[in-house]
Amino acid sequence: MNSPWNFRWIPVRPIVFTSFLLAVWTSPLRATVDESHDYCMEAATPFVEQGFIVREDYWNGEVKSGQKLMISHQLFKGNEYAFWLGSASSGVQMDIKVFDEKGQPLSMDKKTQEHFMSVRVNPPKTGTYKIVFELKSKDSTESVLWALSYGYR
Amino acid sequence: MAAPQGTQGVQNFDPLAFPGQVVDDVVVPVPSEVFSVLDKLGEPNWNHEIREVDIPTSSDRTRLSLLFGYVVAEGFVAVQAEDKEAVKEAGRDVISLAKALGLSKSVLPHAQSILDAADRSDWKAIRKEFDRTQQTVRVTMEEMKDADLSQCVSLGGWLRGTASVTSVVKKAFSADRAELLNQPMLVEHFVATIGKMPASTREHDLLRSIRKGLDAVLERMESAVDGFTKDAVADIGITCERLLSEITTAKK
Repeated sequence: MNSPWNFRWIPVRPIVFTSFLLAVWTSPLRATVDESHDYCMEAATPFVEQGFIVREDYWNGEVKSGQKLMISHQLFKGNEYAFWLGSASSGVQMDIKVFDEKGQPLSMDKKTQEHFMSVRVNPPKTGTYKIVFELKSKDSTESVLWALSYGYR
Repeated sequence: MAAPQGTQGVQNFDPLAFPGQVVDDVVVPVPSEVFSVLDKLGEPNWNHEIREVDIPTSSDRTRLSLLFGYVVAEGFVAVQAEDKEAVKEAGRDVISLAKALGLSKSVLPHAQSILDAADRSDWKAIRKEFDRTQQTVRVTMEEMKDADLSQCVSLGGWLRGTASVTSVVKKAFSADRAELLNQPMLVEHFVATIGKMPASTREHDLLRSIRKGLDAVLERMESAVDGFTKDAVADIGITCERLLSEITTAKK
């Protein structure tokens, strides 16, 4: 009777253990990805009070500290836009720039707090804009989880 | 050429020489982002833009996904017109399409919120809920490894939104209104997305037709260097309307 049980236990245990480790290891990571978006929404709260409509879709990911990221996005002249960049990691320095189709930077109002920053832009023309941003953690070898949301009014 | 005295020469940003990581994901604007600008530029009669969508009986998931996006965009038009009944109609269409796509469970709470908010005439909440509905459906589709269908939802919505914009712009043409059609990146995104789909999906009659139509729209957008003419706006509108009509025409 013992033999079959022992035979079964040997292969099963590592799988269970690995699953357990995976669950333990990935849960905080998942939470952190969601947390980055939560910080975006925290940044958006005062904007909503000012009439901004927050989009449900957003960008997110993980990036090496200091690595710049670029997103192409359609903006419409006549709307005011706000972008909110969030990271669950502490002590991350953030920056966002927005460039028009000719590569000219747009002037914008920036505000930074722990875990998030917000910028507001009034696109001078309707078209494709490049949103360039970076997140620098204290430890330059560390990767940083991020989320970027936007709203308009 | 030297920069003028007293000013600092500013080097333009060149996206092609960008040394960092390019994020390929494209967030497609919801129709109300464009509609809100049209409202600021005048007072379009959005009631004239509402239309009844005849939902064909179909088990073709590509068509159903395109229709889903179309119906959600129709909901945005109804909100802009502040027409309760039209919003509810769009909400009911959302429910029936979600059922046909096997996504009732994730969509029903949103659809119910739309119907409830329509009773309260809470237009802001309805806009939010239509956006959530579309996002939920796309995320659920992606989780079910149906990323292609998720893109079809965005595509259907974009076609309906753009058809409404061209209709409003044609009725009161101005350069500022017409400029709202300067969206070549989005069209390129849709063309590229269709191009990356597996052959079986890419060769779907509807998607082949849409791809051709998008090529024509892109050509119009790219040739509008000095702004969009009335003819260009009309042409884009005709193409979008034709594609929408193909989406709603059921094949037996």
